[in-house]
Amino acid sequence: MRDGDARVWHVSGEFAARYAGGTLPEPDAWSLEKHVEDCAGCASRVSDAVGATTAGTVLAQVRAAVLETVLDPAPDPVPETAPTPVRRTAPERHPVGRTTSERRPAERTAPGRRPGRPTAPRPRTRAARSSPRPPGSRLPRLLWAAGPAVRGAWLPAVLVVAAGALALAYGAGLPGTRALLLAVAPVVPVTGIALSYGPHADPLHEIAAATPGGGLRLALIRTVAVLTVSVPLLTLTGLLLPASGAPAAAAWLLPGLALSLGSLALASFIGCRAAALVTGGGWLAAVLGPVPVASGDAGGARLAEQLSRCLDGIGAQSAWAAAAVLSAVLLTARRPAYDRPLGR
Amino acid sequence: MNSIHVTGLRVRHRKTLALDSLDLGLGTGVHGLLGPNGAGKTSLIRVLATVARPDAGRVEILGEDTAEHRGRTEVRRRLGYLPQEFGYYPGFTVREFVAYVAWLKEVPAERVPDAVERAVTRVGLADRADAKVRTLSGGMVRRVGIAQAIVNDPAVLLLDEPTAGLDPEQRVEFRALLRELGTSATVVVSTHLVEDVAAACTEVTLLDAGRVAYRGTPEALTVLGEASDGPGDHPIERGYTAVLRAHRAAGSGAREAVR
Repeated sequence: MRDGDARVWHVSGEFAARYAGGTLPEPDAWSLEKHVEDCAGCASRVSDAVGATTAGTVLAQVRAAVLETVLDPAPDPVPETAPTPVRRTAPERHPVGRTTSERRPAERTAPGRRPGRPTAPRPRTRAARSSPRPPGSRLPRLLWAAGPAVRGAWLPAVLVVAAGALALAYGAGLPGTRALLLAVAPVVPVTGIALSYGPHADPLHEIAAATPGGGLRLALIRTVAVLTVSVPLLTLTGLLLPASGAPAAAAWLLPGLALSLGSLALASFIGCRAAALVTGGGWLAAVLGPVPVASGDAGGARLAEQLSRCLDGIGAQSAWAAAAVLSAVLLTARRPAYDRPLGR
Repeated sequence: MNSIHVTGLRVRHRKTLALDSLDLGLGTGVHGLLGPNGAGKTSLIRVLATVARPDAGRVEILGEDTAEHRGRTEVRRRLGYLPQEFGYYPGFTVREFVAYVAWLKEVPAERVPDAVERAVTRVGLADRADAKVRTLSGGMVRRVGIAQAIVNDPAVLLLDEPTAGLDPEQRVEFRALLRELGTSATVVVSTHLVEDVAAACTEVTLLDAGRVAYRGTPEALTVLGEASDGPGDHPIERGYTAVLRAHRAAGSGAREAVR
């Protein structure tokens, strides 16, 4: 594409050293980077120069350490390669630069790469790329993979529920806030599960459905991710709210678990979304149904009363525990249904 | 020795019959799945990928019956599948995406980094391995899809329209990759680009209205086309249309006879 280009210069040794040292002016660095995309000779000269810097030495050490860890039978599949802050100083020859030259740009340029755009990868990013794994930020991505809900609209919704409850209680001075939070809390994980698993929620679902790990195992991992976020957050929020006749802040935990497992079991028949509507909707109808709409303090008292019936006492909590166990048993029995995409 | 063995397969898609008493045996090599839109190509690939449940018939892959949970799990570990349309998590880099699928496929953790590197290199994305998938062009995203399909070195590889969105140069590279994969695995490629089949496939299966209309080598289809005067710019295209017409004529003839 650039055969007719009148570019005649090549990267001199001094130029390469200044680039590696980070002292080359920005426009010159860009031209150099553009040039080495097509010129293998200059690319190797520049990569040697970069390899000879302290960064190169550090990289070689990191590489050796990583290789040692990887080849070591002791299971540590995720070697830590934290980005070491690097000061580039006077070049000292070091027989490295392999990691850099292995990715010689002129050899590796993808066919679809757009020419003419200053991609401007700084020496720093080149060095980072040469490490076998991108460093840092693994935990958020793991959470991400664990549950699409945890990054979508669901997480902000949970935060809004928690913050809203605190604002209602302490800002507006509404006395029945804990009862309201307890009424909503069990629905939160149920919605989270519906937004985490299944063809409508997971963009990777079609691919996952053809893998051994894409069935119930994945659904359960995502349920755990959803519960890990919602249980501490909503329980702590409940603890911060004045009781005013409502059940204890932890009273929703067993119903929340039972409804979550019930949702998963039901989803094996009718799909995740419909299952969440049935269990979550059923709970809300049972708790909020008997309470007259918008009747202020009296409504709050009625809600607290109704919640007490559903949550307070050994009888109610044992019933929820039994429901959770039953749901778990049913889910185990329905496990094969998760082998194929669930109903939409 | 066939790695895919299908007998009496029937699949309903909504109200219509997508596949009708289909018998098919496929062994090592690259098998092109041709046919007009709605012929049942995607339905067949989804059943072979163990994603869709057949309404009737038996599907045996790598000696395992896919109707059984245990057999299905075994098959899935050794399967690669590229759906016609697939999503990705936009925050993921190419490497993370492919590693995630490797995890789903139960590739042992210590082998994942190497397997990912190899798959990404094979599709020519080594220099973009740390780029976010959402920053890539359509053709590159498709290559990421191919990388996730081959990350577990599958014995059976199912690709639904893999060349859609690839430019001519990438298609040429992709066909070379297909030929290489086909030396050790059973590769099934659905496409409606006849030239892909001519260039990369060792065998052609032509589907029409849920039934097998033709099976043979691309060369045989080309010879058929040279002999016919049907429409088409290349002999193999003429062969394709000639076979389709003959199959439809035979089908309607058979229906007449039943009446």
